[in-house]
Amino acid sequence: MTLLGIATMGMWCILLSLFALAGGLFLLGVDRKLAAHMQARIGPPIRQPFIDVAKLLQKENIVPANAIPCLFHLAPVIALVSSIVVLFYLPVGSILPVLGVYGDLVLVMYLLAVPALAMVAGGFASGSPYATVGAQREMVTMIAYEFPLAIVVIGVAWRLGAAGLPLPFTLGTIAANPIWTLVGPVGFIGALLLLLVLAVVTPAELSRIPFDTQEAETELAGGLLVEYSGRNLAMFYLAQGVKTLVFAAVIIAIFFPWNLSGLLAMPPWLAWPADLLFFLVKSILVLFFAVTLVRVGMARFRINQVVSLYWVYLSVIGFLGLILLMADASLVTLGVVGA
Amino acid sequence: MELTSTLLTGTGSWNPLAWILGLVVAAVIAWLIYSLGEKGYKAGTAQAEPFISGNPEPEKGLVHVRAGNLYWGYLEALKGYYNRLVPLHTGDLHDYILWYLGVTALFLVLVVISA
Repeated sequence: MTLLGIATMGMWCILLSLFALAGGLFLLGVDRKLAAHMQARIGPPIRQPFIDVAKLLQKENIVPANAIPCLFHLAPVIALVSSIVVLFYLPVGSILPVLGVYGDLVLVMYLLAVPALAMVAGGFASGSPYATVGAQREMVTMIAYEFPLAIVVIGVAWRLGAAGLPLPFTLGTIAANPIWTLVGPVGFIGALLLLLVLAVVTPAELSRIPFDTQEAETELAGGLLVEYSGRNLAMFYLAQGVKTLVFAAVIIAIFFPWNLSGLLAMPPWLAWPADLLFFLVKSILVLFFAVTLVRVGMARFRINQVVSLYWVYLSVIGFLGLILLMADASLVTLGVVGA
Repeated sequence: MELTSTLLTGTGSWNPLAWILGLVVAAVIAWLIYSLGEKGYKAGTAQAEPFISGNPEPEKGLVHVRAGNLYWGYLEALKGYYNRLVPLHTGDLHDYILWYLGVTALFLVLVVISA
């Protein structure tokens, strides 16, 4: 790669970082607005998360007496940075993944764990019993949802590989070949089950109700964030927004990769902004069904219920989806059904 | 910078140098935002005491959450599994060898049947 290529890549990374920050806060605002309307409230304006961040940056950045200061300060920054980096590997509208040829979906799966690990480190570094319990719960939640998440990733990539596509774990391949177009009726049901599993993993990945046991305001007073304030809390808040956008992008890339420019004829200059807008609309829909609707309609699970749900029920559903995809591939190979 | 040193797994790839490039860009942006924030606080005052819902802070040892509790939710959720598995760990080497031989024999049977 030439120096110009690296500079171009760096420029795209900067643009995507800014989009991730603004888009993430926008999604948080939409989530709050939609949740408010569902509870017959007016709710805050959509720009409220931007105001919250600006306000937090003006507040004192308190370090508790029992904390490990360097880790306490570093964790929020790592959480934000690692959240942004994941977006570089994902397609955004018709913008191909900036680092797409340098990493695949397995890498994305691992990178998704880094912000959560940073939160765990920050919780343990806080020197507070609430934060410590919160950090422990975050670790257990991570262990719980990683397994069903892995089943989804492997299931989709395996089906793409079975369809004869090269590099099935690459996001470019996954986004260019929607799973729904490759499978027959049996595989369609399997893919639906995997989509359901990924939708249930989403609120846990984003620490939202009913999987917010690590923060649990009424029980742990904020859990692993209890001692955070000021710019450190602003970093975690920004990371939360970016993670929301990133996880919506993951679901879109795997299950809904279509662009508006591919469905409607439009001039090239219009395609890029139209696809970006369409991506945001899809993100809002994903967020609404996977997070907002669930958090408004449900109460918080206990931590042991979270583990049972993911390791038993969701894993079984995921395996069933995977088996259906395998059966579908066999049926297509035998010529019983057409893809 | 050479970005061709990509680790190929056969089904996908990962290039650590590209990841570091992305990490540096994101870190600079995050640091710029972070540096805009207020740095100070009143050290040594009540605001720096740990938050325990307004209660006085007990002795450190009393509120310390021990590492043994780390996976409590996990062990509690899967206790049906652990209740059966833990008693099997007798510490007697003969038992472990018997398990090893038994499982190996089972796999041999499965391999023969599937062949």
